[in-house]
Amino acid sequence: MSGELVEFGAVSEPVEDIADVVIIGSGAAGATAGRVLTEAGIDVIIVEEGPHVPTEKLTSDMYTSFKWLWRDMGLQVGQGRAFTPILQGRCVGGTTVINGAIMHRMPKRIFDHWCEERGEGGVLRYEELERIWDQLDLELSVGTAPEDTLGRNNTLMRRGVEGLGLRGNSIRRNVKDCQGSAHCNQGCPTGRKQSMNNTYVPLAIERGARVYATCKAERFIVEGGRARGVVGRFLHPLTHEPGPTLTARARHAVVVAASAIQTPVLLHDNHIGRTSGLVGERLQCHPGAGVVGVFDDPVDMWFGANQGYESTHFWDERMKFESVAMPLEFGAARLPEVGPELMHRLGEYGHLAIWGVQVRARAHGSVRRNLFGRRSIRYDMNDGDIQLLKLGIKRLTEMMFESGAREVLPGVHGLPERISTVDEIEPIFGLTDDPRRFHCIASHMFGTAVMGLGRNNSVVDPRLEAHDLPDLYVTDSSVFPTNMGVNPQHSVCAVSWLAAEGIADRLAGR
Amino acid sequence: MKLLAFERRWLRAIFEAILPSNADDQLSLGVADVPIDRFVDDVLEHAPGQFKAGLRASLWVVALSPLFVIGRFKTFDRLDARARSEVLRCLAQSDIYLVREQPLLFKMVACLGYGGMPAVQRQIGIHPTDSSPPDWAREPERE
Repeated sequence: MSGELVEFGAVSEPVEDIADVVIIGSGAAGATAGRVLTEAGIDVIIVEEGPHVPTEKLTSDMYTSFKWLWRDMGLQVGQGRAFTPILQGRCVGGTTVINGAIMHRMPKRIFDHWCEERGEGGVLRYEELERIWDQLDLELSVGTAPEDTLGRNNTLMRRGVEGLGLRGNSIRRNVKDCQGSAHCNQGCPTGRKQSMNNTYVPLAIERGARVYATCKAERFIVEGGRARGVVGRFLHPLTHEPGPTLTARARHAVVVAASAIQTPVLLHDNHIGRTSGLVGERLQCHPGAGVVGVFDDPVDMWFGANQGYESTHFWDERMKFESVAMPLEFGAARLPEVGPELMHRLGEYGHLAIWGVQVRARAHGSVRRNLFGRRSIRYDMNDGDIQLLKLGIKRLTEMMFESGAREVLPGVHGLPERISTVDEIEPIFGLTDDPRRFHCIASHMFGTAVMGLGRNNSVVDPRLEAHDLPDLYVTDSSVFPTNMGVNPQHSVCAVSWLAAEGIADRLAGR
Repeated sequence: MKLLAFERRWLRAIFEAILPSNADDQLSLGVADVPIDRFVDDVLEHAPGQFKAGLRASLWVVALSPLFVIGRFKTFDRLDARARSEVLRCLAQSDIYLVREQPLLFKMVACLGYGGMPAVQRQIGIHPTDSSPPDWAREPERE
């Protein structure tokens, strides 16, 4: 029996539906839960706030992508001393549609640290996660980009990393036969990226799941003290004009997989997790900054894997380096010049390379409702994080010159706009530790509905069931106690998979 | 949110100062050569309210900044090209964070529209995936 995908515009009356399990969110966590539960023969409803954009309707211009696929049109920011863009998808498939397709397993040391500190160990067994990662690798075609589609932005970084004697590798990505179109952030135009909209969501529908897209979950249905569904409302994907309501009833469980930004807001609005006082608190992420290199030979960032090469050499020092091919619309805004100088620089855009450093920051932020009822994200790196960022920018600069860059544009207020020797980056360490000096973005959010054993120090238990509301599960990166220093997509899928297996076992009476 | 006529004039002047036409041998197209007004209309129709309010506030700051930045009692759009560039550069290098974010904001918006045009991409050497302009850039169909 095949299910269906229903969106705003297709419904004019309130919709009521019932399934065994209702899942909120269709990104890495939600779609994976859908995949596992439907495989077990469990009837599933998926509620997704964003629209479904089929591959053939994806366009190459960044703005159209922002409008249809990204949360708040790419304008979501964390506020602190500086404004930090916080990047997330808002569409069927969630952030997997617009990310760099990077698949990294959670480092064992991070897992051990969680166990030592918080006593995780119920649902989360590392060997179980490894079993699931292996399966995900097969199902999502995880591998490195072939050499002929890697692109120069990546091979130049490899040259710089190897030249300095550092450890680096081609990035493992969930892309099948990558064509090197460098459009990962706009949604893969060839459908090669094995994002959730192309894989687990259609698979779940094939097995009978109903997906209600452009429908914002608002209120949990609670009966007999247990989670029994969700009430949402269809919204126009662009104007947010309200449409009919959706009442999605769950016979057995509700899975919240709406991301570490949206999940705590939903929990907060429904008074879940108040005992701990931790809902929306302890927000962690991976702030990052990019450095631009100017090369004599063409780089042509518009060909190749967006993010095809990385160095985890300094992972122990809480830094990870990646190539980041930026579309023209992004890259142009990152350049320091204006006027005729900017036009000259854009004329040689094909000679620019962009690589970034992401920091395993120790700072904590929060996601709350502000006085006007709007979602408010507070985030600021601390001084130690900023010192790391400086060191990361220095190392990126060294890699750039090692690989043959003629000039480097460090993008730091207080430094020259362009430098032509490694020594010229040294003054970065004399600058104050102020986040406003850098153009940072934050991705990979964690920790806003943290898991743990006790209801006083966590929101969900090790099976990822809410302490405050039985049958309500949270399976996205909100439950991760800390950030990880690597891209979380693979781990988010695996943790949600494991939790979904637990739900399926429970329903089967095992 | 709609901009008033003079606000739109200010905005065009800022955009054209950031991305001028005929300033580079290879890249002759400037922001004035693409349908940037339609892009602005689309942004103002769809962007979050806070962003739109911030954009308008920034517009006033930059438009009135020549007096404070280069000592000229004129709005930004009444300056010549060289003075406009100088104002934007001074703002971008300010030690006050919120001030130096102003030109960055306009650069971000201008580049988002400008860089998405296949004609611009072709001049830079990019082979655009989409041969036709984005939806926002197309002439509205007449009834």
